[in-house]
Amino acid sequence: MKGQRFLGLAYLAPYIIGLLVFTAVPFLASLYLSFTDYDLLSAPEWVGWDNFKKLFTRDRTFWKSLNVTLLYVFITVPLKLAFALFIAAILNYRLRFINFFRTAFYVPSILGGSIAIAVLWRYMFASEGLVNMALGTVGLAPVDWFGDPGNALFTITLLRCWQFGSAMVIFLAALQSIDKSLYEAAAIDGASKTRIFFYITLPLLTPVIFFNLIMQMVQAFQEFNGPYIITQGGPLKSTYLLPLYIYDEAFKKFDMGYASAIAWVLFVIIMVLTLIAFWSSKKWVYYAGDKRS
Amino acid sequence: MDMQAFNDAQAARRARLMMLQQSIRYVLLFAVGLVMLYPLIWLVGASFKTNSEIFAGAGFLPRNPTLDGYIHGWQTSTPYTFGRFFWNSFLIILPKVIGTAISCTLAAYAFARFDFPLKKVFFVSVIAILLLPNVVTRIPQYILFRDFGWLDTFLPLWVPSALAGDAFFVFMLVQFLRSLPSDMEEAARVDGANSLQTLLYIVVPMLAPALISVCLFQFMWTMNDFLGPLIYLSSVDKYPVSLALKLSIDTTEAFEWNRILAMSVLTIAPALIIFFAAQRYFIEGISAGGVKG
Amino acid sequence: MARVQLKNLEKVYGGGVKAVHGIDLDIEDGEFMVFVGPSGCAKSTTLRMVAGLEEITGGEVIIGQTRVNDLPPGKRSIAMVFQNYALYPHMKVRGNLAFGLKIAGKSKPEIETAIDDVARILEIEPLLDRLPKQLSGGQAQRVALGRALIKKPGVFLFDEPLSNLDAKLRASMRVRITDLHRRLKAEGLSSTVIYVTHDQTEAMTMGDRICVMQAGRIMQVATPKELYNHPANLFVAGFIGSPEMNLLEGHLDGSDFVIGAQRLTLGIDVQARLASRPADAVLGVRPQHLTIADDGLEARLTHAEFMGHEVYLHAALEGQKIVAVVGAAEYEALGKAETIRLRPDAQHLHVFDKTDGRNVSLRGGSAAA
Repeated sequence: MKGQRFLGLAYLAPYIIGLLVFTAVPFLASLYLSFTDYDLLSAPEWVGWDNFKKLFTRDRTFWKSLNVTLLYVFITVPLKLAFALFIAAILNYRLRFINFFRTAFYVPSILGGSIAIAVLWRYMFASEGLVNMALGTVGLAPVDWFGDPGNALFTITLLRCWQFGSAMVIFLAALQSIDKSLYEAAAIDGASKTRIFFYITLPLLTPVIFFNLIMQMVQAFQEFNGPYIITQGGPLKSTYLLPLYIYDEAFKKFDMGYASAIAWVLFVIIMVLTLIAFWSSKKWVYYAGDKRS
Repeated sequence: MDMQAFNDAQAARRARLMMLQQSIRYVLLFAVGLVMLYPLIWLVGASFKTNSEIFAGAGFLPRNPTLDGYIHGWQTSTPYTFGRFFWNSFLIILPKVIGTAISCTLAAYAFARFDFPLKKVFFVSVIAILLLPNVVTRIPQYILFRDFGWLDTFLPLWVPSALAGDAFFVFMLVQFLRSLPSDMEEAARVDGANSLQTLLYIVVPMLAPALISVCLFQFMWTMNDFLGPLIYLSSVDKYPVSLALKLSIDTTEAFEWNRILAMSVLTIAPALIIFFAAQRYFIEGISAGGVKG
Repeated sequence: MARVQLKNLEKVYGGGVKAVHGIDLDIEDGEFMVFVGPSGCAKSTTLRMVAGLEEITGGEVIIGQTRVNDLPPGKRSIAMVFQNYALYPHMKVRGNLAFGLKIAGKSKPEIETAIDDVARILEIEPLLDRLPKQLSGGQAQRVALGRALIKKPGVFLFDEPLSNLDAKLRASMRVRITDLHRRLKAEGLSSTVIYVTHDQTEAMTMGDRICVMQAGRIMQVATPKELYNHPANLFVAGFIGSPEMNLLEGHLDGSDFVIGAQRLTLGIDVQARLASRPADAVLGVRPQHLTIADDGLEARLTHAEFMGHEVYLHAALEGQKIVAVVGAAEYEALGKAETIRLRPDAQHLHVFDKTDGRNVSLRGGSAAA
């Protein structure tokens, strides 16, 4: 638009400074650190692949943490998305009170990441907490949520799924942006409501599903607040997600090099999964797109 | 005609089926909504209960409402009241929101309205940061801030955002700005305005709805931010409400839940109030970022 | 058999707003019926009621022998071409064409043959494996046409299909559509068409009969020729024909029409048929029916539009605008004249009642439905 070639750069300057100082340099630094032994007091000492060797061969906590993290991600992400889509599809019918419902479902996701909600969750699943009381009213026995390794993961999974509202709002907006005349044409073609959903609606939603999938996955891998407050990673590390492990190593033990190594492993896992998702998207994502792209 | 009667019967059956389906939808939505919101409703109710009552039943109405939880919770077991902690949160949020608004607007203006060398590279960097798990930069950022001497200050918590570090907002504003016609800016140019004047007098007003969304989201996210303060703040007198709440779990007697719950309600109250006052901006903001992404 | 009957068809929206006021219309099997009118006249609403996309709140729609009020669109034996094409963006052209047949459970070979036939007729064979976003406007509209054709419906419904195309494309598509209609008819296939447009040129060139609508009511239903030569009311007179018919206000005095200080002798005495007093009326005469003659009405020339072969003369007659279409040579002959004398063709004069718009100079008085 403007003639001067460098004016744009001037406006971008704050971003560029931030990019370099707070993202690019730290990014490269963390790669470097992962090959060192660094405790903040003395200079970093190069140890080559030692950190990674230790990580993969001698660190049981790491493997436990990795397992738990993968389990968490692969359960919560599909569950949350499916539920969000399901509710959004229902809301897309010309129902009254749609705004009320939309708000009701969205509120949890704005509060969900807060400590307050984590605290609430800790109370809710305590032995004399709300959930066990509710189970009692329908005649079921109370469950040991925090003592039993199997159950603790469920509590934080539930917390994440409880926040499906943000994904739902995006799905709803996408649903409402589908050209109504497409549904009309399909109706005239004789398609039933179910057919319309699977052959018209769903394919047209695939870009948004893809976007949500990536965003949710990246966020899920970095979950910290919930497990930290509610279960402290226990019992027996059954909710010890990788971000918690990294935090402990870096800021409790100040073993920065090792922590960086773990962080990089996590990063690579996320990147690989993201790339797989991108690569697979060619197969199942239909871009209706602009006419000129 | 026989056809007539047959058609009418069919029509009646279809109408009945539609009504049944519609009622099922309402019931389902209502049930889900209730289950979703009950924890919050319970939370507010419980904050007004006495401790013994909290553990007595799952109902949310306090039999003898009391402000005991609030009064004692506010005092906290530290030399400071919760007022101090809210003030700290405010001291973080204010520069962060303002800084974000300014820097992201500048960056979006650059991307949407200018051509300059490396523009594509920088835009790709925005997307990269968006998808980047920031776990990988956290440790070096800590070391960086330590070297700046910024540990135990608020600076690490808002300076990166003031340099457009939150790619999500840059992305959102760029998308929004791209969808606005540049006619008015060209008219301003013909009127003799330079790019900065055009930005301030023409673009920013047009950008207002999206900017409000940005500020609201940043406010919410910062209120909920826990890991950042956890890493960088060591003095209790600097704790924002998220850390203060965590502190109160650690220091409060095991059964004095009503104080913790009361403070939890207070910490989410600002977010809730703002959300309800400005709902529209939240929903539109998240949809704009998501649908076009 | 695919005639369409609209019986006292009404559309009332919640809140009591009546959009369509009791429409009665009989569309013959194989007829190309055009609904035309300005925006908001409810022509699309009526079409959509026939399609089943709008609920019918009063009256009936009968397609063939069946009352279709409660039938879903898929069961009415109709096909529709939308203004914005409504092609499924995620399916290739082939998929778009096949969709309806797949739903109907046709076998693969059947579908393939049908696609090939339609593709040949509409010349879209090279486009079959493209996505809608890769098509130009004209190509997309042909595909939309193909999607309708392939279903062999009883009735074809068109909702302003050419509005999104540029003028040149519009002209060629008009011809293509009318050709198709003629072909279907010749082959004995079902070819009833209801075509909605706001463009009176499309209406006049394509329709067997035209239904002129305004504010949810039928103003007149007739052949293009009939509408042009015998408009039943002021609205139709002003709507059909380009440039618009001149409508001059004045009053009747015996068998004369008085405009300001000038008088025009009509051939007929219609004063008795007027509903208004004191004999206020509107005189209608088409620009093509005015010639420059010494015994004509005097008008002051304001400007001229050069159209090549013809010239549109804009003038002021007793303060009212009047337009005449004359040949280029006639215009040259005027030289630098500032006033001209225009004589209307006595065979093509209309007198309209000012209060209700009726054309009182028609033989028999009222419009044929």
